[in-house]
Amino acid sequence: MPGRTKKDEPTAQDTNMEDAPPSAQPEAEEVDTEDQEEVQEEEEIEPQRVRILPGSTDTAASFEFVDEGHTVGNALRYIIMKNPDVEFCAYSIPHPSEPKMNLRIQTYDGLAVDALKKGLADLQDICDVVTDEFTTKKDQFNAEHGIVR
Amino acid sequence: MDGMDYDPMAMDGDSEQPQVKISAVLQQADKTHVDFELSRTNLSFANSLRRVIQAEVPTIAIDLVEIEVNTSVLADEFIAHRLGLIPLDSKNVGDLNYSRDCDCEQYCEQCSVTLNLHAKCTSDDIMKVYASDLVTDGQHANSVGKPVINDPEGLGCLLAKLRMGQELRLTCIAKKGIAKEHAKWMPTSAVGFEYDPHNKLQHTDLWFENDTDPAKEWPKSKHAEWEDPPQEGEPFDYDAVPNRFYFEVEAAGNMEPDQIIQNGIRILQQKIGGLLKGLDPRKYGGEEEPDFDGPRSPDMNLDGSTTPWQDTGYQTAYGGGYGGGQTSYGGSQTSYGQGSQSSFGQDGQGSYGQGGGGSYGNMTAYGTTPYGQSSWQ
Ligand SMILES: [Zn+2]
Repeated sequence: MPGRTKKDEPTAQDTNMEDAPPSAQPEAEEVDTEDQEEVQEEEEIEPQRVRILPGSTDTAASFEFVDEGHTVGNALRYIIMKNPDVEFCAYSIPHPSEPKMNLRIQTYDGLAVDALKKGLADLQDICDVVTDEFTTKKDQFNAEHGIVR
Repeated sequence: MDGMDYDPMAMDGDSEQPQVKISAVLQQADKTHVDFELSRTNLSFANSLRRVIQAEVPTIAIDLVEIEVNTSVLADEFIAHRLGLIPLDSKNVGDLNYSRDCDCEQYCEQCSVTLNLHAKCTSDDIMKVYASDLVTDGQHANSVGKPVINDPEGLGCLLAKLRMGQELRLTCIAKKGIAKEHAKWMPTSAVGFEYDPHNKLQHTDLWFENDTDPAKEWPKSKHAEWEDPPQEGEPFDYDAVPNRFYFEVEAAGNMEPDQIIQNGIRILQQKIGGLLKGLDPRKYGGEEEPDFDGPRSPDMNLDGSTTPWQDTGYQTAYGGGYGGGQTSYGGSQTSYGQGSQSSFGQDGQGSYGQGGGGSYGNMTAYGTTPYGQSSWQ
């Protein structure tokens, strides 16, 4: 976060207050009010919750997930790391008061986006197995112990 | 671009981490508890499950309180807060919309339950107002939104006490929500989560007073019996990872514990499905993603070409390989948006090896290990 604590002239402080970007916000370009409205409008229609951050390449990309946290982040990180084509995968939550989760994927081979999609699909598979397993075992247990629901 | 170099068929067929298994050590299963062991999975996923059942399973709780008369000694906001914390029947929470997604202006019967309370003390004795005194609007066919009452007298939680002449008249609007927003929407009152009861992995730094007996200071949990204690002089295994997770889910009463877990996994599925949809709107059914001139959408391919995924599709990749297309995950059958029927239930015979570790053959779609590893880890 570049230069957010730049000291203003004491006399100018009052008048400048409104224009100064709030400390934890992204860079000034996006703080434009028009942009913000646009984003808000968009969220009402179909929120774009995954984005590739600038500076990414085919095989080394950083993704930004809006409204996701450790729940998805850590599991996804783990599952993507299991992919042999993936060289590196890590996630972070850059700031606790921003609902954002960043995920970095670097692959030996193939697109980073594909590794992400595969990771998500794999995670869904795990969920499928666990629900199936849980339901089966729970019913079995109930049957064995004569629990009627 | 070729994308992933490995054979997608084989890779997708057995997918990542397939041998997740609940070994069903359901020691206790009553109306409010379910204890189970989740094994052959990893800490990340087990923790995700814990997090999701604690914070993201929707329930119903009183969210708005209109106080008409309050001559009790308790302040309005104090009573409103107490009302919010009353567990309300949320078994059919799926029937309700979130108010923010509802078409109505503020709230309606499709996204809320109205509860009324009117109590006035007319005698010299102190009058107790209980959760059971809340009357639902009767707009809903099922018990959704009714206060949960588990005590033998059928009274429910105590809300307030009134003296002679004091009166309480209010209307409550209960809405659907999740505990991430406010703890009153928690479906669980406590979730026990433990792994490695013998601390073989040294993830916990057990701290001792001088000369106390370690065994006494750190008594073993009941789960310790399920795992082998460390051998005398056993060397530390640097490669060991946790793989058995003991859950003790205690429900708050508004939902049955197994429903909490099933809903929790479904929420997780929906989160993932939503992300996949966002990544690939064409395949997962959604609009073309809007133009966005900030950071790029991942769907806008980096090199402008299509990914191999879009050509082959999941169906072929999954269907051809293992289990004859019965995998629970497949292009059009994504769990996203279809509720629970689509993603499970096909394998009702439980072919994941109920007996124990041995039965994990290649007989199911999940039978083989990922990426040619010989162990499930
Ligand atoms: Zn409504």
